[in-house]
Amino acid sequence: MSRIIKLNHITKIEGHASLNLSIKDGKVKVCELQATEGSRYFEGLLKGNDYYEASELSSRICGICSCAHTVTSIQAMENALGIKPSKQTVLLRELLTIGERIRSHATHLYFLALPDYVGYESALAMADKYKKEILRALRIIKLGNSIVKVVGGRDLHPVSLTVGGFLKIPLEEQLAGLKKELSLVKDDAAQTGRLFAKLKYPNFINKTESSSLAQNSEFATLYGDIKSESRAFMQKQYKKYFKEYHEEYATSNFVVKEGKSYRVGALARLNNNHKLLSSNAKKIISSSRISFPNYNPFINNFAQAVEVVHFVDRAVQIINSLNLKKEPIKKARLRPCHGVAAIEVPRGTLFHEYELDENGIITYANIITPTAQNLRNIQDDIRAFLPQIMNLPEKKLILEIEKLIRAYDPCFSCSTHFLKVNFV
Amino acid sequence: MGLCLGMMRLRIIKMTKPKVGFYGITGCAGCLLSAIFNEDDILPLTKIVDIVAFPFIKEKKDESGFDIVFMEGLVASKEDLRVLKEIREKTKVLVSLGACACTGGVPAFRNFIQHDDYQRLVFHKRMKLEDLEPSPIDKHVKVEYYLPGCPPDKNEILTFIKDLALGKKPKRYDKPVCFECRLNKNKCFLDKGELCLGPVTVGNCNSVCVNGGLVCWGCRGPTPDANFETLISLLHEKGIDIVNIRDRMKAFVGLKLPEEEKKNEQDYKT
Repeated sequence: MSRIIKLNHITKIEGHASLNLSIKDGKVKVCELQATEGSRYFEGLLKGNDYYEASELSSRICGICSCAHTVTSIQAMENALGIKPSKQTVLLRELLTIGERIRSHATHLYFLALPDYVGYESALAMADKYKKEILRALRIIKLGNSIVKVVGGRDLHPVSLTVGGFLKIPLEEQLAGLKKELSLVKDDAAQTGRLFAKLKYPNFINKTESSSLAQNSEFATLYGDIKSESRAFMQKQYKKYFKEYHEEYATSNFVVKEGKSYRVGALARLNNNHKLLSSNAKKIISSSRISFPNYNPFINNFAQAVEVVHFVDRAVQIINSLNLKKEPIKKARLRPCHGVAAIEVPRGTLFHEYELDENGIITYANIITPTAQNLRNIQDDIRAFLPQIMNLPEKKLILEIEKLIRAYDPCFSCSTHFLKVNFV
Repeated sequence: MGLCLGMMRLRIIKMTKPKVGFYGITGCAGCLLSAIFNEDDILPLTKIVDIVAFPFIKEKKDESGFDIVFMEGLVASKEDLRVLKEIREKTKVLVSLGACACTGGVPAFRNFIQHDDYQRLVFHKRMKLEDLEPSPIDKHVKVEYYLPGCPPDKNEILTFIKDLALGKKPKRYDKPVCFECRLNKNKCFLDKGELCLGPVTVGNCNSVCVNGGLVCWGCRGPTPDANFETLISLLHEKGIDIVNIRDRMKAFVGLKLPEEEKKNEQDYKT
């Protein structure tokens, strides 16, 4: 018996993708997840621009993680130019990415993932029966937006950051306002953790490596080595372990680690760093039936909810430790140079790498986004998951596959910028 | 928010709710998020308009016909063009949502730089990808309204929907960014000799970038009476390289600069 399943235009994901599946005699013959997004060749268009323009331009790779691209780009430039940002700058950048993390997770959890689990086609359709939950989601999203707006100057594509520091820092009263908003949302975050702890996730294990940044002292966000179950290495060695490759059928790149698929994102971060979560986040885990490390990809939803709790706490901690003062922007001394930076962003580890000439002009850019790293793992998961759902009626089978894809919170806009100008 | 969506519901209840679609072609989803990120108004909004399709957050879609469609993104592939044309056929009012749809945005910047590299790319892979030269949607179909900006202002989206739902004709804002920037009492970047495109760029963004410390990059597109040459010579007098000025002007809106528009018209004819 053979079945061919084609999922055109998968909904409730960021960007455009489709899936081709062909099953023959109970075996998966073809499993191709493809971005149907047009290519935007970002790495190519960064070339020839000034080093300080890259953050503004690369922010446009993605709306939902524009802060992530901005900060990673800036840090890669600073690494290249030998600029060490001040402590205040680092904390403000972390706060910005936390705002983005919170709103991105809340959007994914309530608007893209939850409807599948409670039997609705969308969050909008749920709004009558699940009004409490949707309003909660909107409050959390609003908090995330407020943080990004206060620190970044605008809620999408932030404006106040630059290489060497901040063009403008928040006012004391704005931070006080955020603190108040954070205390109001704290309970919403905990409720989110509890809600996603009790959802009925499919029972499916596929053990692949979890890759994320890691630090000894804290739950890593902007700094740290790249860590997985098998090894840890420095950010600048990333090309030694990660390999990008193209598939004939896809506009996006795929990435493998030492020849194998691996995962990045909230679940990978918790697998590596759960011991460094805030006590409230740990409580959410200990009062659930879920433990970490965990190799059920659907648990990424719960991991995101745990991160919302953790990062609400961490945001308060950062605001309490800030004693804002105006600082000069650190100047760059231009010379031919090269720099890499990786930070943790909503969907996993994001890499930016640049080469500059003696005038500070970009001569090479390489960007690896989390979804590119997850794509191969999603495909491998679908292959491994199919045998256990093969006998379901087609409609249910498709829903289960979609749930699996959505659990990764893939961003196909991000995944389609890799096409290298220079490949031959 | 002051838009009184509750009150509007009462007035609109007698009419049929407009059928609205939110679509994206190649883009970053930032504009669609701007619509969703109206956190206090997104639910009331569903009471005054009928959101019949929104693939980013909605599985079900009724594509039988639309009163209004918001289209994010630019045309960068044959698939984009197919979707755009199909939706246009069924739509009374098509709205270009955000910089990519209105001007081509940053992705269209590649029309202007490193062209040789792209030519090589065409040779190797673009056939397979069914790739097209990046272009704004009005190069391919008729567009009734434009909500520019990268990202578009989320309040502007809301006000726009409210106006259309009430049968009002939304007005196009045409004052430059400098107008609001002065009201916001920002220090002028031009006085400091920095490359700011405020004078030639359409405002209604509340000069958000300059408020946040960044020069205007021109993401909302040229004002109707934009005088680019005057600004270029002014900036050049302040010591900025002319190539840099022209490049910056192309970053978001290159295809909508007067000289490019002229070229495009010629392309059409040939």
